Amino acid sequence: MSDLDEARRELQEALGADAVLSDPLALRLYARDASMVEGSAGLVVFPGSTDDVVACVRAAAAHDLNLVPRGSGTGLAGASTPIGDALVVVTSKMTRILEIRPEDRLAWVEPGLFNLDLGLALRRTGFTYMPDPSSQQVSSIGGNVATNAGGPHCLAYGVTSAHVLALDLVLSDGTVTRVGSEGPEAAGYDLRGVVVGSEGTVGIVTAACVRLTPEPPAIRTMLMDFDTVEDCAATVSAIIAGGVVPAALEMMDQGIVRAVEAFAHAGYPTDAAAVLLVEVDGIEAGVDAETRAIEEAAHAHSVGSIREAESPDERALLWKGRKSAFGAIAQIAPHYHLHDCVVPRTKLVEVLIGVYAICRRENITVTNVFHAGDGNLHPLLSFDRSEPGVLERVLRSSEEIVRLCVDAGGSLSGEHGIGLEKRDFMPLVFTEDDLAAQACVRSAFDPSGRMNPQKVLPDGARCGDFAVAAAGTNAEAISEAIPEGTWI
Amino acid sequence: MDLIEPSSTPQVREALREASQGGRRVSIVGGRTHLDKGNATEVDLELGMGGLDRVIAYDPAEMLAVVEAGMRIGDLRRVLAEGGQEWPVGASDHATVGGTIATAPSSPRRLRMGPLRDTVVEMELVIGEGRIVRSGARTVKSVAGYDVHRLATGSLGTLGAIVQVAVKVRPLPKARRVVRTSEGGLLAGRTILDAVPLPSAIVATPQRVEIALEGWPQEVEEQTAAIRTAAGDVEVIDGEGIEGAEAIVASIVVEVAVPPSKLEAVLDEESDWRALMGVGIAWVGLSDPGERLAALRVRVAEAGGIAPVIRGPGGLGDVPVPAIETHRRLKAAFDPAGILAPGRFWAGL
Repeated sequence: MSDLDEARRELQEALGADAVLSDPLALRLYARDASMVEGSAGLVVFPGSTDDVVACVRAAAAHDLNLVPRGSGTGLAGASTPIGDALVVVTSKMTRILEIRPEDRLAWVEPGLFNLDLGLALRRTGFTYMPDPSSQQVSSIGGNVATNAGGPHCLAYGVTSAHVLALDLVLSDGTVTRVGSEGPEAAGYDLRGVVVGSEGTVGIVTAACVRLTPEPPAIRTMLMDFDTVEDCAATVSAIIAGGVVPAALEMMDQGIVRAVEAFAHAGYPTDAAAVLLVEVDGIEAGVDAETRAIEEAAHAHSVGSIREAESPDERALLWKGRKSAFGAIAQIAPHYHLHDCVVPRTKLVEVLIGVYAICRRENITVTNVFHAGDGNLHPLLSFDRSEPGVLERVLRSSEEIVRLCVDAGGSLSGEHGIGLEKRDFMPLVFTEDDLAAQACVRSAFDPSGRMNPQKVLPDGARCGDFAVAAAGTNAEAISEAIPEGTWI
Repeated sequence: MDLIEPSSTPQVREALREASQGGRRVSIVGGRTHLDKGNATEVDLELGMGGLDRVIAYDPAEMLAVVEAGMRIGDLRRVLAEGGQEWPVGASDHATVGGTIATAPSSPRRLRMGPLRDTVVEMELVIGEGRIVRSGARTVKSVAGYDVHRLATGSLGTLGAIVQVAVKVRPLPKARRVVRTSEGGLLAGRTILDAVPLPSAIVATPQRVEIALEGWPQEVEEQTAAIRTAAGDVEVIDGEGIEGAEAIVASIVVEVAVPPSKLEAVLDEESDWRALMGVGIAWVGLSDPGERLAALRVRVAEAGGIAPVIRGPGGLGDVPVPAIETHRRLKAAFDPAGILAPGRFWAGL
């Protein structure tokens, strides 16, 4: 009996037959996440409790299988794509809200809970969970933790790591540990800060203690349109320079506005070169003052019209336009590749113009929607995979966009993660010693190397003596990592 | 004890490489304002970081400042003020940026500003053997790679010497006010917390509650009115910031950190304290590190918290550290020779 068969038998006994899948359809379905890379799953398991997760980890150790934690599978960088017939641990059955404690401004939840469902459960408590990735209807808290997810409202409130107090974590040796604390500080190094954003490579989170934020008493949402992207970006800079940090500051270009409008009917101006969605929140008097300051900044940069949401419904509609952007682009072409990189805010226009030029050269349709306040770009390349040679052009454009952002002083990813898709770009921003130190951090949690291997760090990045060369051989490294028959 | 005062990163690397080779134990010092935090440690050498004090990059439009770690907080404050901004941390002007990050003190404004750890976005760290390790990115947001800087923040100089950082800064408030009520206690603090929207700090003391308000002038007025409704007669002081642990005069100050609702059980038998409502931090003044400290720590442990001393003797306290093997492996990887302030950190690390 093979290791996989034995692991299946043991886990079926421990968790029940329903909790373990190994039929060809399941293996195919779980062989990929929302990224462009397909891998191969050996076994798919749905634990219902921390004990079940421990059983998975023990079975993987006993039968020398790799482990891949997975939430809703909406990750865009391939962090949940299993490599080498791995055991995929899917947390989507662990969806309970364990407790909500407004007096301590925290809640304990299981990792499979949808982000939006936590928000709904908090209604009428006076508190909210701030991180709001656009995928929030279907993405899980565990997945949000793994990617250190952002969202429009992270401009003022910070990304997921600022909203996670503690995590219960199963390590690769089967021990259960807690990183962080229900209180504001914990004893020891800030392991919590490392686990958040570690893309499932250091352990499997079985419960998250999240920080609750008081709901702001007043909210104002504005939609502005501009004749040029330069004016739109200049308005973003002027708002920040005026000492105002809005709750959200989102920019969309004409291509994405047209797609969204045909889909969401939110009343977005389709003839504008760019629109800006701005939200301010806080105390009524402050919100008034900030709204006026923002309007002044916009008028100084030739804003066309400013539409202010008059009701909660209208606000929801304006946000629907923004948050459904990635659903709406299906109208442009059947396939898309969504980028994620961050540049210094002052380089936004320069990089945006560069992105247009790259895609024009490669004849790829590009639309842009991004967190302008954070300098976080999301160029969206649309294409039809049946067109010969198109994938090569998409990949070539993607690499050029990454290099453009890095050359502008930016980062490889603002919120989607590194996973498989960007790991070979890591040497663009980190030295061998940087990567070796990161490998040490990873192996301090998982000396076995079994936890979601081949993600985040490029081949060659090893803790060891810091002398091991980290990378350079991108194409070879990734072709070794990915099994035959894989499409990218 | 020897003192080395490097003025550049290469000199820091050289000093730590030599110390590692010679097995000489090192304490990394900045402004010496937070040296009491941590367990007693014996070292052979001090590495004074004050010479690394340059501003590397600061453009107010980026809302980031990149500076060398030896820069004084007061100097950074002046630079940022020219750009209409601040780095909202709770450290004195004499402290250094690196020392402040390595000791991660809580600001009294933590309720609104969040913890210091969320403001550090990029770091250059010279680890035990003199290697330089950079992590994070010079952007307000980045999820590229493992955040080594998160581990170094609050590590009390036991993983490496911080030589350069990029920190998130924010606009200076347009108006700033401290309001003092005449009734003290945690219950009074709780009343204010429930009644006043978005204050930057509510510091409860046994004698009164102090509230820090900041933002647009009209916002501050609206908040003041809410305080008056909840607490009656108040004292209003415009243009001032709120005091933190420095307002306690006792020779020993403990920084208690517990879930906010547990403050009552923890502070019940204490008489000299400043508690951050809604945060769960309380600074407690004690006259000696004996039985009273031990008793306080027992209550804090029962509440699931920690109680390190931040002024005077007393160390961090004897609290079990979860994932201790992970901690040991980290320490061994970053400080293979075991020379960086051995024993100063939690669990004898």
